[in-house]
Amino acid sequence: MALGNGNGDGTRHHEVGAPSRTPEVVPVTVNVTDDFPGGVAGFFERWRSLLVGFGITGRRALGPTTTLRYPHEKVVLSPRWRGALRLRGILGKDEIPILRDEPPVYNDLIEATYRADRLPPCVGNCPANVDARGQGYFLGENKAVEAYELVRERNILPGVLGRICHHPCETACRRNYYDEAIAIRPLHRHAYEEYAKVAEEHLKPFEFTREERVAVIGSGPSGLAAAFDLMSLGYPVTVYEKEKKPGGALYSGVPAYRLPREVLFNEIEYLEKMGMELKLGVDVGHDVPIDYLIGEYDAVIIAAGLQDSRILPLPGHDAEGVRGALPFLRAANWKGDAGVKGKRVLVIGGGNVAVDVARCALRTGATEVRLSCLEASDEMPCHPWEIEEALDEGVIAMCSFGPEEVLTTEEGRVRGMRMRECLSVFDAAGRFAPQYGDEYLEVETDIVVFAIGQAPALADVVAGSDLALTDRGLLPVDGTLFTTHHPGVFACGEVVTGPGSAIGSIATGHEAAISVHRYLRGEDLAADRVPRPVPIYAKYEKATLAGVEMSRMRVQMPMASPEARATDFRAVELGLTHMEALNEAARCLRCQSEVCVGCTFCARTCPDYAIEVERTDDPGERRVTHYDLDLSKCCFCGLCAEQCPTDALVHTGQYELTFFHRGPVIFAREEMLRDGGGTRATGCDAVRAAGEEAGR
Amino acid sequence: MSGLVWGIVWGLAAGVLIALGALIGVWWERKLSGAIQMRIGPQELGPAGLLQTLADTVKLVLKEDITPRAADVTIFRIAPLIVFAPIAMSLVVVPYAAGFAPLDTSVGLLFFMAVPAVSVIGVLLAGWSSRNTYATIGGIRAAAQMISYELPRTLSVLPFVLLAGSMRPLDIVEAWQWWWVPLLAIGFVVYLISSVAELNRGPFDLPEAESELVAGYFADYSGIRWSIFMMAEYGGLVAAAVFGAALFFGPFALLPGAAGVVLFVVLSAILATVMMWAKWTFPRMRPDQLMGIAWKVLTPMALVQLVLVGAVVPWL
Repeated sequence: MALGNGNGDGTRHHEVGAPSRTPEVVPVTVNVTDDFPGGVAGFFERWRSLLVGFGITGRRALGPTTTLRYPHEKVVLSPRWRGALRLRGILGKDEIPILRDEPPVYNDLIEATYRADRLPPCVGNCPANVDARGQGYFLGENKAVEAYELVRERNILPGVLGRICHHPCETACRRNYYDEAIAIRPLHRHAYEEYAKVAEEHLKPFEFTREERVAVIGSGPSGLAAAFDLMSLGYPVTVYEKEKKPGGALYSGVPAYRLPREVLFNEIEYLEKMGMELKLGVDVGHDVPIDYLIGEYDAVIIAAGLQDSRILPLPGHDAEGVRGALPFLRAANWKGDAGVKGKRVLVIGGGNVAVDVARCALRTGATEVRLSCLEASDEMPCHPWEIEEALDEGVIAMCSFGPEEVLTTEEGRVRGMRMRECLSVFDAAGRFAPQYGDEYLEVETDIVVFAIGQAPALADVVAGSDLALTDRGLLPVDGTLFTTHHPGVFACGEVVTGPGSAIGSIATGHEAAISVHRYLRGEDLAADRVPRPVPIYAKYEKATLAGVEMSRMRVQMPMASPEARATDFRAVELGLTHMEALNEAARCLRCQSEVCVGCTFCARTCPDYAIEVERTDDPGERRVTHYDLDLSKCCFCGLCAEQCPTDALVHTGQYELTFFHRGPVIFAREEMLRDGGGTRATGCDAVRAAGEEAGR
Repeated sequence: MSGLVWGIVWGLAAGVLIALGALIGVWWERKLSGAIQMRIGPQELGPAGLLQTLADTVKLVLKEDITPRAADVTIFRIAPLIVFAPIAMSLVVVPYAAGFAPLDTSVGLLFFMAVPAVSVIGVLLAGWSSRNTYATIGGIRAAAQMISYELPRTLSVLPFVLLAGSMRPLDIVEAWQWWWVPLLAIGFVVYLISSVAELNRGPFDLPEAESELVAGYFADYSGIRWSIFMMAEYGGLVAAAVFGAALFFGPFALLPGAAGVVLFVVLSAILATVMMWAKWTFPRMRPDQLMGIAWKVLTPMALVQLVLVGAVVPWL
């Protein structure tokens, strides 16, 4: 008979006054073999319970499965995905003898395999590998100047990009998985604003230690990036700009409500103070032939950008009132008047330039602005936040319509546009092949602006040299080395890549600078250079924010009200306060830094509540004050290490082999909680682009 | 002489039947248990994972045949066959169609109940010869359990003898009337439960009890010998299902000719499924509960059934 607990009737006796050693007398009163009452009722209840059991499993069997269905196709994982499979290569056949070694040997082997590749997602996803992690670290420590200078290494205009960048870093941010991405772009802007206050103390001209001189044609982001890199390597650089003001597309194309001009000119002035020679109003090809530059300088970089707007050759495209996007934006940006006051404007195109045109038209007094594109509203090529802001301001979007014919009056003025319904834009193979439907629509308008793409205008620039253009007016350029077929002449920016982002242009500028440096030193240009694909990071579903504390949420960028801001070129984003920026920077998890930042996600994940974390967040004092992993509670599920953003907590080989005893479990608390300073915390050592060698 | 030839033929046929039954039965059980546990079960090999068991068979045949150093080697080696052979033999007397049983004998019912009981000896030998505590405990448990459940199981089919006036299965099948089904309901339940217990299948799988006895009497068996034990288990399942379907539900009386055989197969499959269903529904019993059910519930129930039928017979 098994032991019962004397349930109910107080049968647990103590002999009063007896020594405590006396065993308790526990009479067994329950017949444990029977769970049912006796008699007929018990008989039926017994059989009923059997049938209930059958019913439960029967219903189960008929219901849908809830567990994973094994995929029939093999899943291809990115090599950067290191979850539970991290140990795969290690536990391969050849390495098995290592298991007999002392734990540290084995650990080192594992460390080496995953350390080879440990850029944080924000840095890896940025075309120019801007060190957003280091920025977050310095800003959280209230060291805005260090943050600015660190960012400037790879992103030569942090203040500008802090306003206009399309922030692939935030898209890849690991924090998307936990709650909301870090506001990396607004932090660039904050770093700039803090730096601007003390810039005079920190700006030092570069020492030009080399004799070779370099000319850069165009002062857009890519040209300036190349110039900055070459100056830091010790080359004197001269930048030629055909307009009266520098900045290239940033000056002529990006509207002032997104990028206030004083920010742009300020940052370019910083570059001038560092020693860059800027020649404004010199149109290479007209005022100076490019052959002169090639003869005068040891290397020339063509970073002229895209100058021509494409216009569809529709019937009536030469009527009065049909405009290209770039001339329209130049007029709006430079004169504040695009000639649309009191008129109706129709913008053709769905990209970012089209949205800029539409919003500029509103600001220069158009009565009604429509934006029409082939794509459906959810597949427009512009960034979603841009079209959202435009719609807030009153732009009317007409999605899934293609232009058919410009309707003109007898005097040859635009009076409207005939549109045709577009069913799909791309074919099954993903090529541009619009399918049109049978519905037509006539839109009355006074001005039609085509924002369907830009093209380079290099014919004048290269005139007289032996640089030849292709039939379509493009300059043949090596996409990895950024060389042209003329030795010593390089190209970068949108001339090479086609319409793209500012940060993408900056990335090509850095690459072109490496090529120039190697060319001038007579080294092999191609050594260890590979076409640099942007690594693919996991795209996270939007995290559930229910129950997430306010302190964990992303800071909200204050915006000017849509009604007011659409009337002039005032800035739309108003900027963060100093405290907001500090808090936001402190949210950064410093992914892959291998230092515990006290994010507490391991403790939140732990099913056994075995982990305790405490930390302080004051600038200068930021550290983890308490970290404890109770190995007696730990069930070795590994969930903590799976989600640790910094890789401070990792599986070791021994971790998987703990079924014999718990001796070899590695919990390197000292390693995890070591000083947060140094390169591993700022990530400085992780952001060398391919082919970038020592020399800085 | 011709008897020997037929014996060999039917022996081979029974072997093939059991092998097929095990092949399909294992697949079906895995699918069914998957569905009950809200999983999917085998799905990679063949349509709906049908070939999974075949692949497993190849694996089992290729595995090393381990004999423990301390084992009583001869007995250890033949024990699986002693378990398997009687169960294969029992299939011979089952009526597979109206008027057809491979071995048509006037004591068929007794044969079907008595011959498989010999496999108890095989189980006991397997447990003992392994020279292993767990195996021995498993073997003893199995012997106690199987002998106990012989009684209600045999009693549960005795009413057929009363009703048909014969122990010959073909006579019983021929005499079958539809009202036997309600009349023999209690007997059927007893037959089903005691058959499951006789097979050492869950929830009566105490002799194997993985969590207590590793695998009970076949803990030390591997590869092909282990799979003979499994074949015996599935063979017993098939035998219990086909015999129960033929006698209790009279498919050959309900439908004529080939249709009756089809109905017979369908009914057998349903019975097998119900036995599997029970395995994946109920937790394993304790030994005292097991014995209590055999002696205090099933045996009285079978006797009540016998009395009931005995009271009806004079009125026929």
